[in-house]
Amino acid sequence: MGKQAKTKTSRKNKKAWRANISTEDIEDFFEKTTKDALSGGNLSAAPSEDLFHVDKSHDLPVRRKIEKRRERVLRVDSILKKNPFVQPISSSKPKSKTSKKTTVTESKTPKQAQKIDADDSEMVDLWGDDSKAERESNPRKMSKMTSIIPAVEVDPAGCSYNPAAESHEDMLAAAVAQEMQKVYKTELGPEPVPLTIDGDAVDEDERYFLGVDDGSEGEDDAEAGKEVSEAGDTSASEPKKLPKRVTRVVFNKRTRQKALLKKLTKEKLKEKISNEIDSLPNILEEISREDEEKQNKLVRRAIAKQDVLKIRPPRLGKHKFEAPPVQVLLTEEITGSLRKLKACCTLARDRFKSLEKRGILVPSKNIRRN
Amino acid sequence: MPKHYRPAGKKKEGNAARYMTRSQALKSLQVNLNLFRRLCIVKGIFPREPKKKVKGNHHTYYHVKDIAFLQHEPLLEKFREIKTYQKKVLKAKSKKNEELARLLLTRQPTYKLDRLIRERYPTFPDALRDLDDCLTMVHLFAVLPASDREKLEVKRVHNCRRLSHEWQAYVSRTHSLRKVFVSVKGIYYQAEVEGQKITWLTPHAIQQVFTNDVDFSVLLTFLEFYETLLAFTNFKLYHSLNVKYPPILDSRLEALAADLYALSRYIDASSRGMTVEPKVDSSSSSQSNDREESELRLAQLQHQLPSSEPGALMHLVADNNEEVEEDEETRACKSLFKDLKFFLSREVPRESLLFVLPAFGGMVSWEGEGAPFKEDDECITHHIIDKPSAGHMYLSREYVQPQWIYDSVNARIILPTEKYLVGRIPPPHLSPFVDNEAEGYVPDYAETIKRLQAAARNEVLPLPGVGAGDLEDPQNLLYAGVMSRTEEAEAARNKKKMATLEKQYHEELKMEITGTSADDLPVEEEGEEGEEEDPEAAIKQVANDEDTRSKLSMSNKKRKLYEAMKMGLEKKNEGVKLIEERKRKLKKAQQ
Repeated sequence: MGKQAKTKTSRKNKKAWRANISTEDIEDFFEKTTKDALSGGNLSAAPSEDLFHVDKSHDLPVRRKIEKRRERVLRVDSILKKNPFVQPISSSKPKSKTSKKTTVTESKTPKQAQKIDADDSEMVDLWGDDSKAERESNPRKMSKMTSIIPAVEVDPAGCSYNPAAESHEDMLAAAVAQEMQKVYKTELGPEPVPLTIDGDAVDEDERYFLGVDDGSEGEDDAEAGKEVSEAGDTSASEPKKLPKRVTRVVFNKRTRQKALLKKLTKEKLKEKISNEIDSLPNILEEISREDEEKQNKLVRRAIAKQDVLKIRPPRLGKHKFEAPPVQVLLTEEITGSLRKLKACCTLARDRFKSLEKRGILVPSKNIRRN
Repeated sequence: MPKHYRPAGKKKEGNAARYMTRSQALKSLQVNLNLFRRLCIVKGIFPREPKKKVKGNHHTYYHVKDIAFLQHEPLLEKFREIKTYQKKVLKAKSKKNEELARLLLTRQPTYKLDRLIRERYPTFPDALRDLDDCLTMVHLFAVLPASDREKLEVKRVHNCRRLSHEWQAYVSRTHSLRKVFVSVKGIYYQAEVEGQKITWLTPHAIQQVFTNDVDFSVLLTFLEFYETLLAFTNFKLYHSLNVKYPPILDSRLEALAADLYALSRYIDASSRGMTVEPKVDSSSSSQSNDREESELRLAQLQHQLPSSEPGALMHLVADNNEEVEEDEETRACKSLFKDLKFFLSREVPRESLLFVLPAFGGMVSWEGEGAPFKEDDECITHHIIDKPSAGHMYLSREYVQPQWIYDSVNARIILPTEKYLVGRIPPPHLSPFVDNEAEGYVPDYAETIKRLQAAARNEVLPLPGVGAGDLEDPQNLLYAGVMSRTEEAEAARNKKKMATLEKQYHEELKMEITGTSADDLPVEEEGEEGEEEDPEAAIKQVANDEDTRSKLSMSNKKRKLYEAMKMGLEKKNEGVKLIEERKRKLKKAQQ
């Protein structure tokens, strides 16, 4: 027991303290730091990216589906590519890229302009290299003329500032006809609903009574109708009669009549057919006549269509095309002097109407709304 | 746009698939109406009329492919860019950042229409063919007053004027003007450039007005396109003459216009330093540029030329043109007013005459500064005047009204001036665009002109037998021509009469031979007529046969058109008859 107790003595005394503490870890640390300092850095502290790298140079990047699709060239784009004037524009490209591109092109263009300026002209000969190949590469056949009406219609001879009497009369007649047509249209058309009507103003109270009167009259009528219907009901209220019983005799009679009727109709049909056969030439004639009429109708329509196209465009919008008034001098305005000529000062309207007439613009009413 | 995927049972076909309304088009293009209209005008896309209007009669329809065509237009993107840029400017302005707004405005993105012109007109003749509308519009806007309300700037008006004058200068230089017609609306011109007949209308020299029923923004869009087109056309045409295209430096001329006298001297000084080559150029490009410009130019030329003889100007021009090969008509036009000198009074339409007279080889001057020669010049042959009476009259020249020039130009001969002298009412001004033969009706004055033309043609041909006295009197020759024609007609009539007489004789003979069987006579006659060698009937028969044969070979549509044409001709004939009848009545009434 005693020994055991001895061993259990405190080690806090000086001797025990010195013997038990080891300085190994400190020494290790110092050793390590000196080693690191000599070798040039601790490798464990460095990130792995610094120490190693993956060699990707031989790897092929995985293509994404979208990119593949982007590389495909649309037909329109390929056509446009042939045209040297068209610069490629793609809506799907990221914005930063496009902006860069535009800046590049902008920086290029002034240079070109300057170059041309040196030549003393900003323009180039558009049709300098007319070749068939280029015409073929034109992306679209340009639409043909919209109408057969010429762009500048020369007025007839009667519209001359000093016309011959006959042709002038002709034109004048045309102008008058145009004017009268308008007048007749307003005259013969339905009268417009008047905005105001003559008469005394009706008082608020009276109007109320008017309404009441109307209502009461209606009710009266309704009551009268009811009475009538009631009278009918009383007569019909008697017990209904049953249909008479068909006796044998009556039945036989009916069947005989039916058979007779059948026979008669058959005969009639036969007669009719024979009649028709007899009148076959007549029918044929009629058919041919009808055909001819149809043909005539078609021709007439075609003619009318052509005629209409010469004077007016197809109906393109809500409103019809209205021809401008004919510019012709009145008989007393003809002086034979250019100086005294009362000339037309609305040529802009003439141009506008011409555009409408050729089907380029859609005719419209009330262009200026203010 | 047609969707690639269509739900089952909702398949679109026919007109519903092929056409779309305007609002649908707007939606698919994602633009507003204004922009859409502009694009359509610039690209040359017009509404169409489908056979079946699927959405109703009050809609405007466009072809789907047309809209697809617009969708691929680079200009669309450009317009969008401009729109966003304008938003920036607006933002700067609303933030009261005036400086930034100004800065932004100076760097505004712009667009050009060159490519579109090339696209719409792949070849030069294509462009020329479509120049009618363009020229009319440009000439019109050259005289319109600039207006803030319509957004018509002064710059554009000036540009239009410049372009129109450039065009006129080219036409008059190459002598390619063919017809002139003065109507109430304006003056119609027709020129033939590179084989294309180009007709345009210029307004009279009065104030044009803005009317309420015209959408000027649309017209201005058209004008924008046409300005570019005409500029390129002029460029090409000028280069074909070996002339540099923008003929004058704008900035200098604008400065010049301010003070006429001082600046003309300045030009004079600068032009002396020029070499000979550019002198020719400038002379050929001048003349009918801007009113004042042309005055300046001429003044300058006058200084340049040693003898200050106006004829030298024409010489230079002629030399320049020699290379261009000329056809018969051009030569005729060039030499019409060859040795004549004209002087224009103040009241005559100067712009028009300054264009027309040089185009037909005449020399012109006018009242005012910078004119090539003065009013008291000895060698002036014609004085154009439009007053009831002239004040001081020179005996050496003829005083005629402007219509004389137009009529002479149209007839291609120098008409006698008696009817056009001062104070008289001139004969009617006939339209050269009306083909009298086709119309079937020839006015009196046209006939007299025709006679004069025939006489002139005879005169040109050297006739050895005819003395000078005879030649001087065209009336004589004329009558001779008329006489010969009437004789011919009479001879033809005689022949016909003889034929009918012969026929009658034959018939009578046959009647005698067959005896007097009166009943079967008409039948026989009919039979004979077919065989009889009546030339006219035979010809008619042949023509009829031809007609029916060609009709049979035609397609249905063509045949209908042909029939329509025939009907139209008949109508025209009726019209001619009516006019003639009217004329007769008029004459009767006058008597």
